[in-house]
Amino acid sequence: MTLREWFEWVENFSTSIALRESTYGYTILLTAHVVSMCLFLGLIIMMDLRLAGFGNLRTPVSEIQKRLFPWQIVGLVITSLSGFLLFYSQPTRYYGKALFWIKLVFMALAGVNALAFHVTTYRSVSRWNTERVTPFGARLAGVLSLVLWAGVVVFGRLTAYNWFTYE
Amino acid sequence: MSILPFFEWMEGLAVTESLRSVPWFGAMINVMHLLSLVVFAGGLLIVDIRLMGGGLTKQPLSQVAREARPWVIGGFIGLFLTGIPQLMLTAIKEYYAPLFWFKMEVMVVALIFTFTVRHWLTMGDEARLGRIWGKVVGLVSIVLWSAVAIPARLIGLVG
Repeated sequence: MTLREWFEWVENFSTSIALRESTYGYTILLTAHVVSMCLFLGLIIMMDLRLAGFGNLRTPVSEIQKRLFPWQIVGLVITSLSGFLLFYSQPTRYYGKALFWIKLVFMALAGVNALAFHVTTYRSVSRWNTERVTPFGARLAGVLSLVLWAGVVVFGRLTAYNWFTYE
Repeated sequence: MSILPFFEWMEGLAVTESLRSVPWFGAMINVMHLLSLVVFAGGLLIVDIRLMGGGLTKQPLSQVAREARPWVIGGFIGLFLTGIPQLMLTAIKEYYAPLFWFKMEVMVVALIFTFTVRHWLTMGDEARLGRIWGKVVGLVSIVLWSAVAIPARLIGLVG
C-alpha cells in the first residue's frame, strides 16, 4: 500500500468523513490550533530569546526551562491534537501539498535541535545558569529553534494556499 | 455618519491595487502577522501566567514584566504594521463583518487594560497585589486578548 493509498483509506473512515462534513468542525479546530500555538510557541520563543542572549537575561536559564515547560506542553498537546484532527479530516488534501511536508520537516528539525541541546550543552547549565552570555552551543540552539519554529509557522500558514500542490 | 466611504476609499486606493497585483503579497503579510502574534502572545503570557501564580514564580513580577515588555510592544507594532495592509486589501469585506468590529472594540479595551491597570500592577509592589488580584488581572488579560485573537481568526472563516 502506497502512502497515497493509505491516506485515501483513512479519508474514508466514518470519523474522518464526519469531521470533514461537520458545519463547525474545521472552524473550531483551526481556531484551537492557532490559539494553542500562541501558548506553545510564544513561550518557546521566550525561552529561546534567553538562550540566544536576546532577552529575559536576568532570569536563570534553568528557571525558564523548567517553569515554562508545563505550559509549553499544554500548548503543544492541544496544538498537536487539533493539527492532527485537521489533517485527519482531509488527508489527501494535505498529501499533495509540498508546503505541508516542508512544515513537518521543520517541526522534526526543531525537535531534534531541542533534544540535541538537552543531551549536550544543557547538561552543564549549572556552570552558566545566570550568565547573560550563554555558551556557543546554547546560543546556537536558541537561534536555530527561533528559525525552525518560524519556519513551521510560515509553511503552516502557507499550506492554506494552493501553491506547490500536486496530485 | 457611516464610515463605509472610508473603507471603500481604502480598498480603491492605487497603492491597494498595486499590492493586490503582487501574487505573494497577501500571503506574506498574513505570515508576518502570525509571527508577530506569536511574539506578542509570548510576551503577554509569560507575565499573565506569573500573575496567576505559575511559571517564573521565583523571579520578581516587575522583573518578568520589564523583560517581557519589549516583546509585547515589538509584537504589537508588528501586528499593527501588518494589519494595516491586510485591512486595505479586504476593507469592504471587513466593514460588513460583525467579528471585525467586535475584535476592534475588544482590542481597544484590551490595550487600555494592558497599558494601564496591568502595567501599574505588574510594575508596582507585588505584596500589594495579595492572593486574588494577581490572578484576576492575569485571567482578565488572557480572556481579553483571546477575545481579540479568536474573532480575528474567525473573520477569514465565517466573515
